[in-house]
Amino acid sequence: MAYISQYEYYQNEGNSPEDVNWGSYQYISLKDIVVNYQLMYSGNHSLVNNEERYKILFHAKRAIQELNYDAFKEIKVLQLDVSESLRFILPSDYVNWVRISYYQDGVIRPMVENIQVNSANSYLQDNNYKILFDEYGNILKPEQSPLDLARIQGQKPSIYLNSLSPYNGLLGYEYEGCWYFDFAVGARFGLNTETANSNPTFRIDKKAGVINFNSAMAGNSCILEYVSDGMENGDDTQVTVNKLFEDYVYAYISYQILNGKLGVQEYVVNRAKKAKTALLRNAKIRLSNIHPGRLLMNLRGKDKWIK
Amino acid sequence: MINDIRNTVLAVLNKNNYGYISPQDFNLYAQQAQMDLFEDYFYAYNYQVNKENQRTSGTGYADIKKGYAEVIDFFSVTFNLSQVGANLDKFFLPSISTTGSDYYLINKIFIGSTELERIEQSKILLLNSSPLTAPSTMFPAYTTEASTATIYPEPLVTTNVACQYIRYPKPPKWTYVDLGSGSEPVFDQTQPDYQDFELFPDDATDLTMKILQYAGVSIREASVVQYAGAAEASETNSEK
Repeated sequence: MAYISQYEYYQNEGNSPEDVNWGSYQYISLKDIVVNYQLMYSGNHSLVNNEERYKILFHAKRAIQELNYDAFKEIKVLQLDVSESLRFILPSDYVNWVRISYYQDGVIRPMVENIQVNSANSYLQDNNYKILFDEYGNILKPEQSPLDLARIQGQKPSIYLNSLSPYNGLLGYEYEGCWYFDFAVGARFGLNTETANSNPTFRIDKKAGVINFNSAMAGNSCILEYVSDGMENGDDTQVTVNKLFEDYVYAYISYQILNGKLGVQEYVVNRAKKAKTALLRNAKIRLSNIHPGRLLMNLRGKDKWIK
Repeated sequence: MINDIRNTVLAVLNKNNYGYISPQDFNLYAQQAQMDLFEDYFYAYNYQVNKENQRTSGTGYADIKKGYAEVIDFFSVTFNLSQVGANLDKFFLPSISTTGSDYYLINKIFIGSTELERIEQSKILLLNSSPLTAPSTMFPAYTTEASTATIYPEPLVTTNVACQYIRYPKPPKWTYVDLGSGSEPVFDQTQPDYQDFELFPDDATDLTMKILQYAGVSIREASVVQYAGAAEASETNSEK
């Protein structure tokens, strides 16, 4: 892509939205990657020759997907209110979650993932526990399983230290909805730290594509921080990659093509593999953003008196 | 160039009264010879690429490949493609029956500044079914079938679909004025159907030898065929 003017960068040449090009110089587009690769790394005198463009495109996208999973650190954030059904439908470009919080009174409270199952499928059964079928032989299912129903109705006790805990109200005290120093918690050793959290809990049902919360989340606002694969819902024009990873993407494409090609010497494949790995490492270090100023702030604590 | 070549051919053929070929026969042999040499350009180009990869060719004036590329580019044509009826995704390829111009090979089809990728018929369904490779407006593709090209995805604007192709060289035609029986036809390049060879002058020797081979076969003169074959082989070897 050609360089853009300052006017186009700052104000999108008077068009809306104004901010469309802000920060764009950090990134290189998918089209540029494919075109650059075809020009510079593929051809009569290159290791890669006579390869279809769709193969280069495929490997470029795969490289970007892999980078999005861990190396990029580009977190997407989505905030939605949770309805009475206690479900949060995963975003269409969701791949994995980073953190899930609920937002209350201007405070973001990170939630913990419930270690217990909180949602299930269920089949209708008769008095003899036989599964019921319809006239076509399909299993009859209730709208909600007993487990789901109990959770939604707030009848399912929680092993976490929130209002649904069986210990709730026994000992200790409640202050503005939060419990402190419950009997089984702070007053004795043996606290189960895994469940020592008073916030609502969640569990992700990947196949169903939803996050199921406990009943404390009804009506609350949920903030989902997640990673995507960078494919921008199939819109190739929006797919970009940070310039720090540009060389890695080229190396990745070369390696994948050479690795899958018949008759390429093993040392050539290994060379491509090493180049790919080294460039990924370099790019990760570059992107880690170890700034002296940030280190300085941490190191200032070294003189702090510890009681 | 065509008259010089014909004179040379006739001079060789008529030596020792071996024989004579008519203008009609000469034109047929000339067309055949030109096509042979034209196709050889592509093989020669590929040969030079391989030589470069073996590091046995040079740059500058020693860059033989560049010369072949220039000759091939001489036959390059860029042509706007027209839609097939109301189909927004189908376009006529250049051919005698559809557009009046024939192509030897299509080098590229493009929409504006975006080049389309040619996809084999055996791959297009697979390509379309994969989210990562499905053709998009940024990376469009096309398939060919008979004299039409199908574009994926359907282009938003159908007026700027064009192709760049390498056309066949025009059939050479030595035109003449007939002075009656007993007289030699006289070369006349003012005739409307006159067409000189389109190959470059440095191919005149090859053309002559090729035509001589065909003519030698025609008049059943083995020595002519052998001489012309050997001369052509020698010429080809010296150019490698």
